Amino acid sequence: MQPVIRLEHIDKIYGTGDTEVRALSDVNLVVNTGEYCAIMGPSGSGKSTAMNVIGCLDRPTSGSYYLDGVDVARLSDDELAHVRNRKLGFVFQQFHLLPQLSALENVMLPMVYAGVAASERRERAAEALTRVGLANRLHNRPNQLSGGQQQRVAIARAIVNRPVMLLADEPTGALDSQTTQEVLNIFSELNASGITVVMVTHEPEVARQTHRVVWFRDGMVQNDNMLPTQLAQMSLVS
Amino acid sequence: MNLIESTKMAVKTLTANKLRSTLTMLGIIIGNASVITMVGVGQGAQRYASGQFESLGPNVLFIIPGSEEARDRSFQIPRTLTLEDAEAISSQVSTVSAVAPQLQSQQPLSFGNRQTTSLVMGTTPDFLPVRDFDVEQGRFFTETDVQRNTQVVVLGSDIARKFFDDKDPVGQQIRIKNIGFQVIGIMESKGAFLGNNQDDAVYIPITTMSNRITGDTSPYGTEVTFISVNARDEASVSAAEFQLRNLLRLRHKITNEDDFTVRTQKDALEIVGNVTGALTLMLAAIAAISLFVGGIGIMNIMLVSVRERTQEIGLRKAIGASRQDILVQFMIEAIILSALGGILGTAIGVGGVTLVSATTPLKAGVSTPAILVAVGVSGGIGLFFGVFPARQAAKLDPIVALRSA
Repeated sequence: MQPVIRLEHIDKIYGTGDTEVRALSDVNLVVNTGEYCAIMGPSGSGKSTAMNVIGCLDRPTSGSYYLDGVDVARLSDDELAHVRNRKLGFVFQQFHLLPQLSALENVMLPMVYAGVAASERRERAAEALTRVGLANRLHNRPNQLSGGQQQRVAIARAIVNRPVMLLADEPTGALDSQTTQEVLNIFSELNASGITVVMVTHEPEVARQTHRVVWFRDGMVQNDNMLPTQLAQMSLVS
Repeated sequence: MNLIESTKMAVKTLTANKLRSTLTMLGIIIGNASVITMVGVGQGAQRYASGQFESLGPNVLFIIPGSEEARDRSFQIPRTLTLEDAEAISSQVSTVSAVAPQLQSQQPLSFGNRQTTSLVMGTTPDFLPVRDFDVEQGRFFTETDVQRNTQVVVLGSDIARKFFDDKDPVGQQIRIKNIGFQVIGIMESKGAFLGNNQDDAVYIPITTMSNRITGDTSPYGTEVTFISVNARDEASVSAAEFQLRNLLRLRHKITNEDDFTVRTQKDALEIVGNVTGALTLMLAAIAAISLFVGGIGIMNIMLVSVRERTQEIGLRKAIGASRQDILVQFMIEAIILSALGGILGTAIGVGGVTLVSATTPLKAGVSTPAILVAVGVSGGIGLFFGVFPARQAAKLDPIVALRSA
C-alpha cells in the first residue's frame, strides 16, 4: 500500500551563516494509510518543524516529501494551500474557530475554499458535526460551546473535506482530562473508520492511546516506531 | 473561492463588528456628504446670484464710481458720479430708456416710539422700470417730487409692518434722521437683492436724500452711489454702453483712466460666475480632503484589523485559502466599507442639499457629476487604501499567524 507520508532526507535550516539553525537533520519517516501515530520529543527537538513540513505549512530546505504519492517539497505557497485544503485536516491546540461564525459555518469553511456548492457544504458540514456528536449544536457560536465541544467542531472541520490524513497539534493541550478523553475517543473512532491520524503531543498518557510513537531529538528521528507502552521509560531518558 | 463567497464572508465579518464598521465608514460618509453638500451649495449660490442679475433683465447696465483699478487699489470709493451725470445720460443717450440714479445710506428711522435703522434709498421714478419694481399701495414719488425736494417716503413692506403693523401707513408721518417724511406708499414685497433686503428699506426722492439726509456732495455735483440704466432693448446694450461711456468721459474731462465703471448684466453674471465658481471649487477641495482623510481612516482600521485577525488569517490559510483568497477578502471588506459609506454619505449629502434649499434662498441643486465623482472616488479610495492592508494580510505566514496568541 502507498504510504500517506514519506519523508526522505529532510533538512530544515533556518537563517544563514553564523546564525544558522538546523531544525531538522536528515529526517526519514514513513506513515502508512490508516495509522494512528503520535510525534513526541522534548521542546527544540524539531517535532513542531516536522509537523509544519508534514502539514505543508512549511517547505524543507532539502529532501523529498511524498504526500499521498505526490512530491510536495517544492510546491509554491498557493499549491501548498491547495494541498492543505484537499488532502489534510488540521486540529490545533487553540481550536482556531472563527468567532463570528456558527459551528456549521466554521465546518463549511474548508469547502468554501474547495469550491463546493453551498447546498452540499451545508449537508456535509451537518454530517461531520453529527459524526463528532454535535448534531444539536449546529447553530451555536464558538463562545456558546465548551472547550471540548469547540475542539469537536474543529475536528469536524478537519474531516469535512475528506482528507487523507488528520494532523493534530497538541489537540488536548487546552482541555481538562475528561474532555481530553472525549476528544481522543473521537480520534480513535475516526482512525478505526480508516482515517490516518498524526498527532503532536507532549502528554505521555495521550500518546499512549495511539498505536505508534515517533520520538524526535535534536532535529532527528531518534526512534520512529516506539510502542506507546514503552513511553514511561522513554520520558525518563529524555 | 469565487467573488460571491468572498463578499458573503466580508459582509459576515463586517456585520460581526458593527460598531467598528460604522466608525470606519464615518470618515467616508462625512467626506462624501460634504462633497455633495458643498458642491450643491456652491452651485446654489451661483444660481442664486446669477438669478438675481438675470431678474434685472438683459437690458440693464450699472454705472459705478471709480475705475476697476482704483477699486483694487483702495477701499475708499471715489465720489465721481453725480445726479447731473444721470440727467445728462437720460437726455443725451438715445439708446437708453430709463435712468435711475441711486444714493443710499443707512439711517435711523422712527415712528412714534418705534425705532430702527435701515437703508434709505434716494432715487427717481425711473427706479421702478429699471428694477422691475412697483408699489403695492399708495403711490411712488414723481418727477415733481424729485424736482421739489418733497419730504415723502415710500416704505419697504418689512418697514411698513414694523412701524404700522396692519394699520394703513399712507398719510402718516415718519422720521428719517429726525426729519419728518410723509408716507405716500408701500412697495411690493421683493425679497433680497445681493444680500440687501429690499423690503427692509425706504425710498425717497434723490434730491431730498442729497439735500436733507446725506448733505454732502461730490466736487462734481450731487453725488450718487451708482446709476442703473435700462437700454432700449437687448440689441442696444453695447451701443448704450459705448455712448454713455463717451458721454461720461467728456463730462468728467477724462484723458486717460476712467473714473467710473460700466457693467452690463453679462459682465455681472460673469463676475458672479467667477466668484461663485471659485467658491464651489474651494468648498469641493475642502470636502475632497475630508474624503481623503476618510480613506486613510479605512486604511488605518484595516491595518489594525489585519493585526487583530492574524490568527483568523493563519487558520484560513491552513485550511486552504490562497494568498489571493485572503487578498480578495480584505479588499472586498475595504470596498464594501467605502462604497457603503459613499452611498450613505451621498444620501446624507442629498438630504443636506434639500435642507439647504428648503431653509435658505440658495436653491442648491443635487449635482449628478458630484455624486458620481464622490461615489467613484470613495470606491476608489477603498480600493487604494485597502490594497496595502490586504497585501499585509495575504503575505502572512500561516505558521507564524497560527502561533501568535
